[in-house]
Amino acid sequence: MTRAVHHDCDVLIVGSGAGGATTAAVLAEAGHDVLIVEEGSWVEQGSTVPFSLDQMDKQYRSGGVTVALGLPSIAYTEGRCAGGGTEVNSGLYWRPPEATLELWRTKYQIRDFASSDLLDICAEVESELSVQKVPGEHTDASDILRRGADRLGWRNDEIPRWMTYPEGAGATEGQRQSMTRTYLPRAFASGARILCDHRLDKITRSGRRATGAELTHTVDGESSAVTVAFRDVIVCGGAIQTPAILQRTGLRHRVGRTLAVHPTVKLAARFDDPVNTPEDVSVFQVKQFAPNISFGGSASHPGLVALALTDNWRDFGSAVTAWPELAIYYAAITSEGRGLVQAIPGVRDPLVTYRLTKRDRDLLGQGLARLAMVMLEAGAEEVYPSFKQAPIVRDRADLATMTSMFAASKASVMTVHLCSTAPMGDDERRCATDSHGLVHGTDNVFVNDAALLPEAPGVNPQASVMAIAIRNARRYCDERAG
Amino acid sequence: MSDTGSTPRTVARFAEGLLAADLPLLADDRRHETVEFIGRRVGVLPSITRFGVLAIGAGVDTAGMIVGHHRVRRVITRLPLPLLAEYPRLVRSLGYAYIWETWPDTDVNGASR
Repeated sequence: MTRAVHHDCDVLIVGSGAGGATTAAVLAEAGHDVLIVEEGSWVEQGSTVPFSLDQMDKQYRSGGVTVALGLPSIAYTEGRCAGGGTEVNSGLYWRPPEATLELWRTKYQIRDFASSDLLDICAEVESELSVQKVPGEHTDASDILRRGADRLGWRNDEIPRWMTYPEGAGATEGQRQSMTRTYLPRAFASGARILCDHRLDKITRSGRRATGAELTHTVDGESSAVTVAFRDVIVCGGAIQTPAILQRTGLRHRVGRTLAVHPTVKLAARFDDPVNTPEDVSVFQVKQFAPNISFGGSASHPGLVALALTDNWRDFGSAVTAWPELAIYYAAITSEGRGLVQAIPGVRDPLVTYRLTKRDRDLLGQGLARLAMVMLEAGAEEVYPSFKQAPIVRDRADLATMTSMFAASKASVMTVHLCSTAPMGDDERRCATDSHGLVHGTDNVFVNDAALLPEAPGVNPQASVMAIAIRNARRYCDERAG
Repeated sequence: MSDTGSTPRTVARFAEGLLAADLPLLADDRRHETVEFIGRRVGVLPSITRFGVLAIGAGVDTAGMIVGHHRVRRVITRLPLPLLAEYPRLVRSLGYAYIWETWPDTDVNGASR
């Protein structure tokens, strides 16, 4: 029998996405011996086509086919690669709204959580990631969203992204400044190490202390055992894997019980001219009805166009041949519903469920109707809503028909924003960790990723994740130095 | 039916039939390749989802052997049956996404334009 490979470190960081990479950089630069373990592989940018099935195979969990069960079920995606979701998402950057931070501070009793301090960290992140707007031309799909909203007099904004551009370059010429280009190299420069293709199976404990980790290293289908001894462990596996890891470790207090997402419904819109940019998304978002409802653009590969038409293929299918003239858009809502993440003994992956409230279902319908209105104002010839038995929308009269036929249970609901499965705060009735990510009831198990966000922030959450992770990592360094 | 590699036989049979009915002019080799893709994705689904898909697939396949695959396929693709309706939805979603990403010039009946 092969002996397990063993590693030692001061701090084991589980996961290398927006939470894990920033944490690793702060800790390594403060002199801690940091080891990062990442379940996915290191995939060089440019080696896969953005938003393609190939990318989903290489950089998403389960090839991008993951679902929170419910009525309706909600499809979601998780990055599973070095850099996590920052490598594969749209790169759109939103600071957390001050009002949201203030609400979280008071409702969840989060200590030392001044919004001004967090926004100062946001400014650092923006500099590190080169967050900026497109210096040159936008894609046609972007302009459609802006044009439609402008004609309705609805508020819309260009959202900056973590991209660098050649001077004056257009939207598709950006270079993503994800974690593998920014915080991970910073961590490595200060001595941090990373083990990719290593899945954390279990954290061993003795009372309040975690004592080690058991992992499986998989290469070309061959698996081998790995163990790690550490002083402290910081779990940054994202809002689904982090609670599953904690539960497998026997830590269940308020863990995995309050999954929060931004549910979205979609439509495809057909225009007179080619508008499809397969490898990019719209950088505009419509915020007229924020925070309850927001509109944005989705990836529109021909395969994804076909997917968007699938729910009513008999009536919509013929549009797929005109895919260059189609683009896909979404309406996202802030949800009052909540979900569960439950690790089940003997089963590799957690069970994820989510329940939309009546108000959520109504908002999804309103959002889809208003989004269709934006498309018509922008000049869409036909709009194809993604729900079963949906009509083709060609004018405002069709909108009324569509609204009357919509039911969330018939819709293809999905999300890419998952959070709040180990909420932070000193209110132990609500929270799984203290105000800085230390899991209640432990001395050395921390969480530092999207799971900490007490609620879905109503905007793209990764800026919030990075700012809070850096805040907590600095606090950790101060305490361990003391 | 061609060898579909690691695709569970029940899922492969259902996917072959569904794609053949939806896209009658899709070339056989393309359909087989698409079914293989569907099988690979089913193979990496999260544990509980995969178990559910395979269980439903086995039930649908058994029912198909008794009353006819065409009849069973028609029932579960037309009736809004909870969970059961998700099965053809999953197969179609994966299949269509693969077909139009791989061969974007495919016509709505599956023919190559």
